[in-house]
Amino acid sequence: MCAQPVTDTPETRWQKVLYERQPFPDNYVDQRFLEELRKNIHARKYQYWAVVFESSVVIQQLCSVCVFGVIWWYMDQGLLAPHWLFGTGLALSLIGYVLFDLLDGGEGRRKSGRTRWADLKSALVFITFTYGFSPVLKTLTESVSTDTIYAMSVFMLLGHLIFFDYGANAAIVSSALSLNMAIFASVCLASRLPRSLHAFIMVTFAIQMFALWPMLQKKLKACTPRSYVGVTLLFACSALGGLLSISVVGATLFALLLVSISCLCPFYLIRLQLLKENIHGPWDEAEIKEDLSRFLS
Amino acid sequence: MGLVSRGMAAAGLGTAPAVVRPGPPDAVPNPTPNPPPEGAAPGSSRVPSMVLKAFFPTCCASADSGLLVGRWVPEQSSAVVLAVVHFPFIPIQVKELLAQVQQASRIGLAVLGTWCHHRQEPEESLGHFLEGLGTIFSHEPWLQLCRERGSKFWSCKATHWQVPISPGAPGEDQVMLIFYDQRKVLLSQLHPPAALPDHQAGDATASAGGLAAVFDTVARSEALFRSDRFDEGLVRLSHWQSEGVEASILVELAKRASGPVCLLLAYLLSLISAASTCWVFKLWPLSFIWSKLSTCEQLRHRLEQLTFIFSTQKAENTSQLMRKANMLVSVLLDVALGFALLSWLHGKDRIGQLADALVPVADRVAEELQHLLQWLMGAPAGLKMNRALDQVLGRFFLYHIHLWISYIHLMSPFIERILWHMGLSACLGLTVALSILSDIIALLTFHIYCFYVYGARLYCLKICGLSSLWRLFRGKKWNVLRQRVDSCSYDLDQLFIGTLLFTVLVFLLPTTALYYLVFTLLRLLVVTVQGLIHLLVDLINSLPLYALGLRLCRPYRLSAGVKFQVLEHEAGRPLRLLMQINPLPYNRVVHTYRLPSCGCHPKHSWSSLCRKLFFGELIYPWRQRGDKQD
Repeated sequence: MCAQPVTDTPETRWQKVLYERQPFPDNYVDQRFLEELRKNIHARKYQYWAVVFESSVVIQQLCSVCVFGVIWWYMDQGLLAPHWLFGTGLALSLIGYVLFDLLDGGEGRRKSGRTRWADLKSALVFITFTYGFSPVLKTLTESVSTDTIYAMSVFMLLGHLIFFDYGANAAIVSSALSLNMAIFASVCLASRLPRSLHAFIMVTFAIQMFALWPMLQKKLKACTPRSYVGVTLLFACSALGGLLSISVVGATLFALLLVSISCLCPFYLIRLQLLKENIHGPWDEAEIKEDLSRFLS
Repeated sequence: MGLVSRGMAAAGLGTAPAVVRPGPPDAVPNPTPNPPPEGAAPGSSRVPSMVLKAFFPTCCASADSGLLVGRWVPEQSSAVVLAVVHFPFIPIQVKELLAQVQQASRIGLAVLGTWCHHRQEPEESLGHFLEGLGTIFSHEPWLQLCRERGSKFWSCKATHWQVPISPGAPGEDQVMLIFYDQRKVLLSQLHPPAALPDHQAGDATASAGGLAAVFDTVARSEALFRSDRFDEGLVRLSHWQSEGVEASILVELAKRASGPVCLLLAYLLSLISAASTCWVFKLWPLSFIWSKLSTCEQLRHRLEQLTFIFSTQKAENTSQLMRKANMLVSVLLDVALGFALLSWLHGKDRIGQLADALVPVADRVAEELQHLLQWLMGAPAGLKMNRALDQVLGRFFLYHIHLWISYIHLMSPFIERILWHMGLSACLGLTVALSILSDIIALLTFHIYCFYVYGARLYCLKICGLSSLWRLFRGKKWNVLRQRVDSCSYDLDQLFIGTLLFTVLVFLLPTTALYYLVFTLLRLLVVTVQGLIHLLVDLINSLPLYALGLRLCRPYRLSAGVKFQVLEHEAGRPLRLLMQINPLPYNRVVHTYRLPSCGCHPKHSWSSLCRKLFFGELIYPWRQRGDKQD
């Protein structure tokens, strides 16, 4: 009835099984155990210029926020006529719209099944609502102090940068929240402008900047990477130029930030990869492969 | 039955007339069957399982010798003596009388034993004669109660004829003699204890049952007490008798008249209720108004009560009788107070003064409101309000007040006449007058109610909008099917419009919230005043005044239990106790006999009230159809 204890002979070799009775404690292992140890199996080897290319998404978004801030400053100071901004924005949007379809030969449109009529409707909704609400927006924050508005806008734009979908697969990413924060900040800033037309054009510009421009960027990056690099450089230069016209110190700091993100950070990433010690072996390891974001909400 | 507590027995050993009070819950003492007092059975080899208890009416203590008539309760081993039959009698007639009473009262009456009152020297022959009676009226056990000369010495024997427990002499039990006031026990109504803590409960119910049996026996054998002292019947009885019927001719007249009067009033009331259920009153706007006016509710309540009082059916039991009496007294007091109010109001032209004062007061209130609104339209308490919305709301409310003032001034010539007619309604009772006052307050503060509703609706809209837009802001939505928040991918235009609205609502919320807060406070003030009036009306409606008066003037009528006083406790003699009735405490009187109140007012718990206030749901002083009955 009772199982015979295994005789303790020198020939008895330890086996990595639990279904047989062995003369070893449960947590015993012998030398062969670590022979199967492997290191850094899944570690990726990064190419420096590839990382720099990928970092351009961050650069683009930083520049977008910067350009938005500069334009708002110009509007607030009365240096920029709203009509001119509206005209330019409209022209650029039309060009972008045409480019958007031309880049992949209308394949994306066919896949999503979105008609031009729907686009027109969306545009009409934007324009109508923004125009209708612009007088309300103008008087919305009259009694709130300017500093509060600035602080709120800064926090919202920071939130926009944090939650933006840079292509990483992380729980924190939420493109809807990011876009909403940007719109909230733009509405707050627009309500400080002198007239309701200014507010209307500012909010329209914000939509173009934060909603439409990233969509075009994504497509540019996917279809023509070379032109994407050019556009990024051009955009960064124009943002820097705009900032320079306002404040030299700000422009210098911004340039340093851009350089550190696009050049120093990739370099540092590759250096740190050398220190990576990811061990794999004959033990059961919990590997989390799924996207965790659905559990975190 | 075990009515005598152990503590009592111990206390009884010390001083003879010690009032023994039972434990705090009520008057029913510790009901464990007590061992017999030590002195009662000296040298007795066997301890009887239960002491025989003889309940003896105090009024018979001075009666001549005779037979004890009463009821034997075998479960409690107690004998309830109801009357004494005097000599001379014919045994057949006694038995006939008992059979008659038994038929009327449906309880088993019997001759329990003999009563012997020695006024002179003890006569041996009488003693033998009494013993001989036991063979005629056989009863098990046979009681032999004797009172010696004076009132000092009592003796009591209980003899078992048929089954002597020890061979030899007939068995004799320990006997405890308990005196009771027959009149009080007859009239009192026993209220069993509501709830007793833990271990006592089981025994207490048993003992309360025994006590109830005694009370019930006395109350039911009322037929036995009908004959009075001066009746020359075939059998002479001695028991409690009423003092006489000289003054009761008026009572008799009232009794005769009450039948037709009730019939007439019931007919009139049925006419009124038929008229009130006429279809004209059930049309939509009218029925809605009726349900909201507290005067109508009060009138309906009173009509129901009066119909109940004057219904021609006889009250089935005492509780229903008490309810009727309570209602009648409540209505009478109400009407009396109403007449007092009426005489006060209609004397010295007080109505005119009141009417003259009313319009300036309403004006004043409106003026104060205008000031409040102007303050709100500025920068109230240094708060940062949205100027445009503030102005719009302020002007809207100002216009409302303007309308209100013109309405009041239009009404002012008629106010005196209206008040005069309303004052007449006080003859229907103070509660009706108070309800009318409450309704008048509601009508005069209609503008505050309107402001409150506008404010609450706006605020509720904003809170609901903000809560759902906040979910949209985070890219989530409310899943109705699973009752939870899910993530959702929105279109670009949805996001844009949602965020735009969200921003607008966030910045406009403080302004709306402030208006809502101020008008809610005003509304709560009015509701509180109305609530106090309703509380007073409910108090008059539901207070059992008749029961309270009975408790005040005749405490024995409502009994919570009994207490015992030790009269004599000596060795070799039966323990003598005096049973006294413990009156019901006032709070239990109120609790037991409370009349149902009108029941049209809502009972919010504080948390639900705060929740409703926070989410901007409307608060009504009347009960909503969907409200849960608390």
